[in-house]
Amino acid sequence: MHTCSKLKREFTKKWVKGLQICCSSKKNIDIMERKKKIKLCADIALASAKNATTSWSIALISEAKKNDESAILVDSLIGPESAFKQQKTMCHNKRVRSKKILKKSCGISQRMKKMGRPHKSSNLATYIAKRLVKKRTQVLQRLVPGGEAMDEVSLIKEALDYILSLRVQVDVMRSLANATEALNQSNIS
Amino acid sequence: MENEGNGNCSIFGMGIEGSEMNCFFNTNSMDQKDLFESALSSIVSSPSNSHHAVQFPCVGVGGGGESIVLRELIGRLGSICNSSEINGNNSSNNSCYNTPLNSPPKVVNMSITGHHQFPVDPSRFSTFGGKNELSHVIESGKLSRVSSNQSFKKMNKLSMELDESSVSETETGTGNGIGVKGQSNNANGRKRKVVAKGKGKETNAKDDKVVTEVEKEESDAKRSKSNEEKKSNEKSTEPPKDYIHVRARRGQATDSHSLAERVRREKISERMKFLQDLVPGCNKVTGKAVMLDEIINYVQSLQRQVEFLSMKLATVNPRMDASMEALLSKDMFQPQVSMPNIANPFDTSAQSFPYGFQSQLNGMVPDRPENQFSMNPLMAAMHRNSVIKPPHIDGFIEASTLWENDLQSVVKMALGQDQSQGFLGQMKVEL
Repeated sequence: MHTCSKLKREFTKKWVKGLQICCSSKKNIDIMERKKKIKLCADIALASAKNATTSWSIALISEAKKNDESAILVDSLIGPESAFKQQKTMCHNKRVRSKKILKKSCGISQRMKKMGRPHKSSNLATYIAKRLVKKRTQVLQRLVPGGEAMDEVSLIKEALDYILSLRVQVDVMRSLANATEALNQSNIS
Repeated sequence: MENEGNGNCSIFGMGIEGSEMNCFFNTNSMDQKDLFESALSSIVSSPSNSHHAVQFPCVGVGGGGESIVLRELIGRLGSICNSSEINGNNSSNNSCYNTPLNSPPKVVNMSITGHHQFPVDPSRFSTFGGKNELSHVIESGKLSRVSSNQSFKKMNKLSMELDESSVSETETGTGNGIGVKGQSNNANGRKRKVVAKGKGKETNAKDDKVVTEVEKEESDAKRSKSNEEKKSNEKSTEPPKDYIHVRARRGQATDSHSLAERVRREKISERMKFLQDLVPGCNKVTGKAVMLDEIINYVQSLQRQVEFLSMKLATVNPRMDASMEALLSKDMFQPQVSMPNIANPFDTSAQSFPYGFQSQLNGMVPDRPENQFSMNPLMAAMHRNSVIKPPHIDGFIEASTLWENDLQSVVKMALGQDQSQGFLGQMKVEL
C-alpha cells in the first residue's frame, strides 16, 4: 500500500531522530531502560508520523506530553508541526473526562433498567450477544490509545488505523532488528 | 363430572373466542359453573367494567381461594381476548395489558395479600396444586404489568393452571375422594406447562379436543417466539445482519430509535468488512463479537511484537547511536544493494508474521523499492562510518573494519541466511 510505505518512511525518520536524541545522551543505560526508550521513541514517532489525522495519535501524543522526559522528545519530534496543538489535547482531555462521567451515569441507569425489567427469554440470546460485544469493545478501548472517549463506530475506525500503523512500526523495527542481528552474527562469525 | 370439567376447562381455553363460550355455557349445569359462566360472559363482553361486578357472585361461591382464582382467571381471560389479536405487537400489548389487567390484578393482589393463608381446604384442592396455583396467581398478577410477552406466557400458564384448578374444584366439590384426580390434573397441567413452551399439547386427553385449538393458537405464538429465540440463539455467532432481520420481524418499540440503530449497525458492519481484509484470518469469521475478539487479539499481538522488537533492539543498542547518526546524515532513498536481497528479509518478515496473511505478503512485494531505504542507509552508514563506531564492545572495532571491507557481501549473505533461520523461529517462539 502506498500510504504504508510513506508512513514507513516518516516513521523511520522520526524514530531514528528520536533515538538519537534519547539514546545518545547517556551511554550506560540499563537494558530495560533502553528498551523503554526505544519503544517510546517508536510510539511517538508513529503518532507524529500520522500528523494528527487520527484521534489515537493525538491521544498518544498528549499522553506522552504528560511525562517530562517524553515531552522533550515529543517536542523535538513534532517541532514545526502545528497539528498537535496544546489546545486540541486539552479539549480532548476534557472531552474524555466528561464522556467518562456521562458513560458511567448512562451505564448505571441502563443497569438499573435491566435489573428492574426481567429478561424476556426470547431476547436472551441477543442480550448475551450484546453483552459480549460490549465487553470486547471495552477491551478494545483499553488497547487503542485514547479509546475511552470514542463511541463504537469511531472506535473501530481508530482501531483499523491503529492496526495499520502498528504494522508499519513492527515491520520497520523488525527489519532493523534483523539487519543488526545479521550484522552481529556475521561479525561474530 | 368429567364432562363438566371438560366444559369448564374448555371455557377457560376458549376464552379467546367469546362466541364459542356461550355454547359451552349451555352444557354445564353445576351451580358453581353457572356463576362462573355468567361471570365469564360478563367479563368477556365488557372487560373493564364488569370486573368489579363479577367479584360479588364469586365471593359467594366458596372459599376465598376459589374466588381469588376465579377473579384472576377472569382478569386473565379478559386480557387474553385482547392479546390474541396483537401477538406480534409489543407496544400495543403493553397498552392493552394495562387497561384490563389493572383492575383485577389489583383486586386480586389486595385480596391475596389480605389473606396470606389461602382459605383453601386441602380436601378441596390437592394441596400441592392449590398452593401452586395461588402462588402463580400472585406471581402473574404482579408480573402482568411488567412485560407484555412475559405476561402473555404467564397467562397461558395460568390459564392452564386454572384449567386444572377448575377441574379440581368441580371435582372435589362433588366429593372428597377426588383429590387423586386433582393431583393427576395438576400433574398433567404441570406437564402442559413444561411442554407449553415448545410444541403442542398432548397431555390431558380430556381437554385436548376442545382446548387444543385455542391453546394451539397460544402455543403457536409461543412457538414462533421460541423459534425466534432458537434462531437468535443459533444466530448469536452469525453475521450481525441477522440480528437486524430478527429485530425487524418483531418490530421495534420506537421506530426512530431502531432506524438509528440500524444505520449505526450498518456502519459498523461496513467497517467490519474492511477489518476483515486487514486482520488476517477474519474471512471466515462472522459476528461482531468474534470479529472484535480477532481485532483485539491482533492488536495485542502487534503491541507485543513491538515490545519484543524494542527489547531486541535494546540488546544491540550500543551500535545504534552512531548508525542512527549516519542514517540521518545519509540520504535514505538511494538504493545501493540489489533488490532481491533486500526484498528477501521483507518477504521473510511477512512470512514469519504469525498469521501468515497472504494479502500482506502481496502488499509487501510491491514495496520493494521503497523498503530498501531502511536497509540501505544502515548498511551504507556502517560501510562509510565504520570509524564512528563506538568502542563499547571490543569486538566491534574488528567488526567495523570487517564491515568496511566486506560489508555488502556480508550483508547479502546474512540476509540470504535470514530466510531460513531464526526469524521465523523467533517470531513463532515469541508469539
